[in-house]
Amino acid sequence: MHSVLPRVAAGLASFLLCFSLQAATPNLVVYTYDSFISDWGPGPKVKAAFEATCNCTLELVGLSDGVAMLNRLKLEGDNSRADLLLGIDTNLTAEARSSGLFYAHELSLQSSALPDPWQDDLFLPYDFGYFAFVYNKEKLASPPTSLRQLVDDSDGPTLLIQDPRTSTPGLGLLLWIKKIYGDKADQAWAQLSPRIVTVSKGWSEAYGLFLKGEADMVLSYTTSPAYHMIAEQDLRFAAARFEEGHYQQIEVAGMVRSSQQKELARRFLAFMISEDFQKIIPTTNWMYPVVGGQAVLPPEFDQLIDPAPALLLDETSVAEQRKNWVEEWLEVMSR
Amino acid sequence: MLLIEDLQFDYSAEPASNMHFDLSVEDGEVLSLIGPSGSGKSTLLSLIAGFLSAQRGRIVLDNNELQALPVAERPVSIVFQQHNLFPHLDLYTNVALGINPSLRLLPAQIDAVRDALARLGLAKMQRRKPAELSGGQRQRVALARALVRRRKILLLDEAFAALGPAMRAELLDLVKTLVGEHNMTALLISHQPSDALIASTRTAFICEGRVSMLAPTAELLAAAAPPELRDYLGSQ
Amino acid sequence: MIIPRAIPASLVLALLALLVLAPMAGLLHLSALPGYEPGDLRFWESAYLRRVLFFSIWQAVLSTLFSVLPAILVARAFAMQPDLPLRRLLLGLFALPLVVPGVVVVMGVVSVYGSDGWLPMGRSLYGINGILLAHVFFNLPLAVRLLLPLWQVIPQHHWQLGEQLGMNAWQRFRFIEWPMLRETLPGVLLLVFMLCLTSFAVVLTLGGGPRSTTVEVAIYQSLRFDFDPARAVMLALLQLGLCMLVAMLTLKFQRMPEVEIAISAPYRSRRSTLSSVVNLLLIGAATLYVGLPLLSLLIDALQGPFFKMVTSSQLWQAFANTLFIGMSAALLSVLAGWFLLQYSASLARQGRVTGARVVELAGSIVYVIPPLVIATGMFVLLSPHVDVFDWVYPIVIAINALMGLPFVVRCLGPSMRQSHARYHRLCLSLDLQGWNRFRFIEWPLLRRPLGLAIALVAVLAMGDLGVIALFGSTQTATLPLMIYQQLGAYLISQATVTALLLLLLCLAVFALLERGIGGKPDVAN
Repeated sequence: MHSVLPRVAAGLASFLLCFSLQAATPNLVVYTYDSFISDWGPGPKVKAAFEATCNCTLELVGLSDGVAMLNRLKLEGDNSRADLLLGIDTNLTAEARSSGLFYAHELSLQSSALPDPWQDDLFLPYDFGYFAFVYNKEKLASPPTSLRQLVDDSDGPTLLIQDPRTSTPGLGLLLWIKKIYGDKADQAWAQLSPRIVTVSKGWSEAYGLFLKGEADMVLSYTTSPAYHMIAEQDLRFAAARFEEGHYQQIEVAGMVRSSQQKELARRFLAFMISEDFQKIIPTTNWMYPVVGGQAVLPPEFDQLIDPAPALLLDETSVAEQRKNWVEEWLEVMSR
Repeated sequence: MLLIEDLQFDYSAEPASNMHFDLSVEDGEVLSLIGPSGSGKSTLLSLIAGFLSAQRGRIVLDNNELQALPVAERPVSIVFQQHNLFPHLDLYTNVALGINPSLRLLPAQIDAVRDALARLGLAKMQRRKPAELSGGQRQRVALARALVRRRKILLLDEAFAALGPAMRAELLDLVKTLVGEHNMTALLISHQPSDALIASTRTAFICEGRVSMLAPTAELLAAAAPPELRDYLGSQ
Repeated sequence: MIIPRAIPASLVLALLALLVLAPMAGLLHLSALPGYEPGDLRFWESAYLRRVLFFSIWQAVLSTLFSVLPAILVARAFAMQPDLPLRRLLLGLFALPLVVPGVVVVMGVVSVYGSDGWLPMGRSLYGINGILLAHVFFNLPLAVRLLLPLWQVIPQHHWQLGEQLGMNAWQRFRFIEWPMLRETLPGVLLLVFMLCLTSFAVVLTLGGGPRSTTVEVAIYQSLRFDFDPARAVMLALLQLGLCMLVAMLTLKFQRMPEVEIAISAPYRSRRSTLSSVVNLLLIGAATLYVGLPLLSLLIDALQGPFFKMVTSSQLWQAFANTLFIGMSAALLSVLAGWFLLQYSASLARQGRVTGARVVELAGSIVYVIPPLVIATGMFVLLSPHVDVFDWVYPIVIAINALMGLPFVVRCLGPSMRQSHARYHRLCLSLDLQGWNRFRFIEWPLLRRPLGLAIALVAVLAMGDLGVIALFGSTQTATLPLMIYQQLGAYLISQATVTALLLLLLCLAVFALLERGIGGKPDVAN
């Protein structure tokens, strides 16, 4: 009886050690969100493609989302195992920048597909998309053609959106309306509010409810219909094009300051903006690649709406105002 | 007079478990039932009370057939060895339930409850809970309830088995008196032959689901046959 | 050697405190470090907080009443129909809703009551209606499972007397069943209240918007969105205080049983056809209510890419992880609960009823500290010293075991107290101690509630999303996490298949554990 316990403990310890054993080849650790590394995400293909050339092991660590990654990195400080962080968006870059935990990538991104030239010494984009309201063409014959029409028409389509406190698209819509309406955003929300069926915690609940037929439109991405076209050969879905333009989401990666393998990390970033990485993105992450243009896009993407002009608020004002704007939103929506 | 005629009951398909009773009990009589465990004594009481339904036969009280009556309408009160009282109710309420479970009692009925409690020596304990009583007192409460119910048949299913000899003798005497006073018909299951001597003029020996012998108590206890009776008495 | 019961119990209590308080202290310490903005003190006086607090309590109270009161009737109907065909299967079905991840329940509820559903409710679904529908779906079956064993301890003689005295259904309930319910009901009410109070995704999504914000959402917001650990801790403590208050209220109403309790066979009286019909209607309605959302899930899943998915290694990895985490958490939880309840029962036997209740309450109430707070705090404490990724399993198992404790207390507590009250002296006189006492006395007497406790905690831990989502990556992903990831990647039909697989796994584990540990149902329950 007495000898069993230490043996069990030793067994358990060696079992756990297996996970942390350092391989002989260098091990590059990337924190990312977990849908990136799932079977159906870009992760497995990215890992295979990068390991084929780098003579290293790429360890992709999945966390729930960008906020979780950044919080984790902040908590770990200089003890972090992470060499890279992949998967925060431009709404978080200001906060990430001020944490002082990132290191300059010293790479340049030329001729990107982004609407505006990319200038950022700490973060590099790897894909981007636009928020849009998605609808079923068979059920909604004439969708609104502008955000203002959507807001003003009190008999307009019913909506499913996400909570800006818990979801990226939710925050996206908040900023989108802020960008168009400025100080009158609260009035726009008040007008929209009666047609919002519900505000979900995350994208998946709202999108699931939409597919169950709970509302006419759901807040999602302009690229969502491409998924239904390519993966399900289902042509019923479309995103409504709004004249004012669509708010942008740009997903970025950055090197962690405390990394001991900055050269290798930089090589990964260079790989990330190469065509080998970029061609994986459209049909796994269902976003636009930042380089490669038409060559890496499946033909179905041609049928998607043109979201121009791209809308984006600068990261500093988002970082400063986000709390106030969310409080304003809460106030209107709780009435 | 209570008549039990050709009363048959099967617990299961096995023939060994078949019960078959014939019996009569006079007005004012306390008939004792003795016999080995599992011989069918409690089953007989359950059949009379209506907890079980016989497959065949008749239960007749003063020319009235009881078989078809639902439990609540049978002229029967039963006292078990335990669990006779509801532990969260005081004595008064436990007895009053015997008159009307809605507890809406007429003044005369309230007096009847008080009288019954007084008759059993519990007049000063009306507001106590069963947990505060001794075993003998609890069985007195159960008897008081049987009294206020004013039903002709009284069934005592090992009602006093857990009590000491002196207390048992006292309560058996009391039962005998009450049955006489109210002209009831009582059946008493006991494992102590001495109980039968105290309470009953006649005693039935039940064995393997049948009334094996019915005789004056002293005679039955002294009888040499049947052998099962000797075995049973010898093992006591 | 005899170890006093207080020692292992104190150890468990100390561990509980450590597991809950240390992370909170870690978080508070963090917010005192430079670089973190001090929390906004106005928050504590804001209308927002008052609204959130009011709404949390309101929805939790309503959900609790709508779950538990009908559950009494349904459990009673089950108890009155011991020979019902498929009874065990139905009761197994009633263990399932607990393990369905919130987002899947939302989909199921919408399949049934949504605008394209079988019983469409339209827009009125979103708001308190939807919240209640989903919470009752979760909690009514749980309450039925927890209350049903009570009917078994009613002495058969009470039923017979009730019948002889001509009691009607109401009088039987009042004089025979209610006194016995009174002991257990407060605990069940408290448990369901805690479950509803800490509900998150369901409340937010079916609640129609930020009007339906609970304290749990506010905690999430503080920790994730605002990164204000101090506020998160304070909110968690507020939630804890709220539950303590409710616990006091429910305990005031509780009465310990005044009678020695018998284990009796179900009483088969010659009940009227009317009451049988009413019972069958009740059981039928409850089964439909619980079954419809599950049925919609089944229909969706059968249309999914079933065969393509069962060849995925990630799926089976997640399957194995789910099983491993569920079983380990259940064992740990029951072990900890066992020591706590032994101590509590011995206190109760010595007449120290308040002490006994406090010990049980301590085991239950830690449930309301959100896993996010515990996990983040643990992370703060552990990450400077160890690589947290190596500790995913122990941490996830420990937190899930903690979350399972209230269920162990609920299932096992009453029986443990009875066994102590009845047999402690006998055991002392026979010098039955430790293992022998367990083997000969406690195991045979307690294996049924023990089986239910282990089975419940196992399926709960297998259905956990809150904890694993904070730590899980693909290597450690469980089925619920996989469902969530699939839903987040358009893979809705795959997610329903995974959900079905999770449900089947839970059903199997529940049946095996309950039957394997609880033994054959010689007395129906």
